[in-house]
Amino acid sequence: MPRRLFPLSAAIVVAALVAAAAPSPQQQTQPPATAPQAPPGGGDVTVILEPGQRALFRLAFPAAVKPAGLAAEADSAALELEATLRADLDASRGFAIQGPRALAPLTLTGDRVHDFEQYRSLGNEVVLLAEIDVERGQDRIVFEGRLYDLKSGQSILAKRYRGALSAARQIAHTFADEVVQYLLGRRGIALTSIAFASDRTGSKEIWAMDYDGGDPRQVTAHKSTSLSPAWRPDGQTLAYASFVGGAPGLYLANLATGRKTPLATQGDQNISPSFSPDGRRVVYSRAFGASTEIVVADLNGGNVSRLTYSSAIDTNPAWSPKGTEIAFSSGRAGNPNVYVMDAEGTNVRRISFGGNYNDGASWSPAGDAVAYASRMGPAFDVVISDLVTLETKTLTHGEGSNEEPSFSPDGQHIAFTSTRSGQKQIWVMDRDGGNAIQLTREGRNESPAWGPYPPE
Amino acid sequence: MRRKSWLWVGLLLTIPVITGCPKKPPKTPDQTLAVETTPVAPPAKEIAAPKPPEPKADIEEEALPSDIVELNRVLVERGLIGDVYFAFDKYDLGDESRDRLAANARWIRENPSYLFTIEGHCDERGTNEYNLALGQRRASAAKDYLVSLGVDAGSLVTISYGEERPFCTDSSEDCWAKNRRAHFVAIGRR
Repeated sequence: MPRRLFPLSAAIVVAALVAAAAPSPQQQTQPPATAPQAPPGGGDVTVILEPGQRALFRLAFPAAVKPAGLAAEADSAALELEATLRADLDASRGFAIQGPRALAPLTLTGDRVHDFEQYRSLGNEVVLLAEIDVERGQDRIVFEGRLYDLKSGQSILAKRYRGALSAARQIAHTFADEVVQYLLGRRGIALTSIAFASDRTGSKEIWAMDYDGGDPRQVTAHKSTSLSPAWRPDGQTLAYASFVGGAPGLYLANLATGRKTPLATQGDQNISPSFSPDGRRVVYSRAFGASTEIVVADLNGGNVSRLTYSSAIDTNPAWSPKGTEIAFSSGRAGNPNVYVMDAEGTNVRRISFGGNYNDGASWSPAGDAVAYASRMGPAFDVVISDLVTLETKTLTHGEGSNEEPSFSPDGQHIAFTSTRSGQKQIWVMDRDGGNAIQLTREGRNESPAWGPYPPE
Repeated sequence: MRRKSWLWVGLLLTIPVITGCPKKPPKTPDQTLAVETTPVAPPAKEIAAPKPPEPKADIEEEALPSDIVELNRVLVERGLIGDVYFAFDKYDLGDESRDRLAANARWIRENPSYLFTIEGHCDERGTNEYNLALGQRRASAAKDYLVSLGVDAGSLVTISYGEERPFCTDSSEDCWAKNRRAHFVAIGRR
């Protein structure tokens, strides 16, 4: 991405205006500036932003200050904290970060005024100074993070965190979200989780992991086949399908207590759950004999109402973020396609027209686009259909088979299942398809569901 | 015991039909009409076969194994019960499938004390979610056809495994075709 610069104060004003105007700004347009960009080296520079471009804050992030002679465990925690923080800030896609290597040519004396001038000389606008320490016999880690505006020397943000050594990643994620909120004016995803299905223990179970693949934890141990997890919007409960009861049924898992309760187990098959945004109802696919249809029910399984009445397969529903629509897959046109209907079941309209097999709808958090898997060749690729422009873009390009997309809550990333490494694994890419990285490696992993923001 | 001898009578009678030899006079009265085990499409609703008389001395009888796993193996080996296969993404029954189901129906009707599961399976190429629903349609298609042939619905349970329990795992046309099926499993006595 071409690098543009503009005065930091203007940036803060913009960020504040944008934060006030919309919860998750995706594109910022600026009036054309009068001067072209000046070479790095200080001085006022102005920037021309085109629609689709986000200004990247030029952030200097020198090596964290640590005490010498740390014990192995404490040192490892400190390294992990710093590495996680760097990765989190990068993942926000809002910063052009200069780390220790890029900053190496500078002569830093420890005098703040002098050092800030040095950072600015490389074009940076903000500096993040991090200090990591240990206490209680190297049993606990302490992190101090300070953000400064380089032009004025003013402190923007200063936070201190303490915790067990094992909390190092959590501290980094928490501070990264603060930085993102302050500078970019939106919530960060560093504390979000992704639920998924994994067979790494020998049977397919529901698991969850941090958004960056860290700390994988097992949610079910049914020793059967469990799949398609879905988050309740409060982040406390997962719905999922499982063969544990014989025929595929739906269950709820309370993530705090570990308790599992049945949600829908009548009939021949209950699969593919999706919660309403208020968390009170679940839409899913049910089969009685040959009829595979989409129904909505309360969380206690009651008040079931049927939404689809075609004689074809109707399945895999996804409730829209505003609660007004449900996307789903249907074979009513002869082959699987993605449709959208009002949440009451009316106004069914087809939205997939390419490929010969379309399934697995995931709504963008703004509700203006749906990502899904489309088979246009021998295997699937993830595509995204804009519901306003009616354009469909292909995000993956034949690297193995790519399915089951799931948007991050900030709409900037999409988790998906890909076979490009040889087996089904969970990957994450940017909303435009770039920067695909592998999150899982052990066993086979699929069916990602990106969880909500943590409670504020 | 009487039903098993009935079956063997029927099988024996097909031999002259298949080989084209002059027909031997049947050893049992004309109810043999109902025992056509040659592959002919059955009528929409078959009348249940009446009770056969006592077997004659030269009819062989074989007891079915009481172990359910062994029973399934024997049923398949003898061609009494078999799976039906489907085209990609489809749950329609072709002629071959209907014939196979008719043969299944015969045995199940004659042995109503057995309970069967019909499993719907798919190949790996579709999506996991849609394949669960497709497997359900395949199992139901097989069950509904059997019921239309007079099998008691209560002796049939359907379940879809989608692509979750494949019979083979190569990524080849051959293996994919093997996985697209409604699979019959006797699961015990009612």
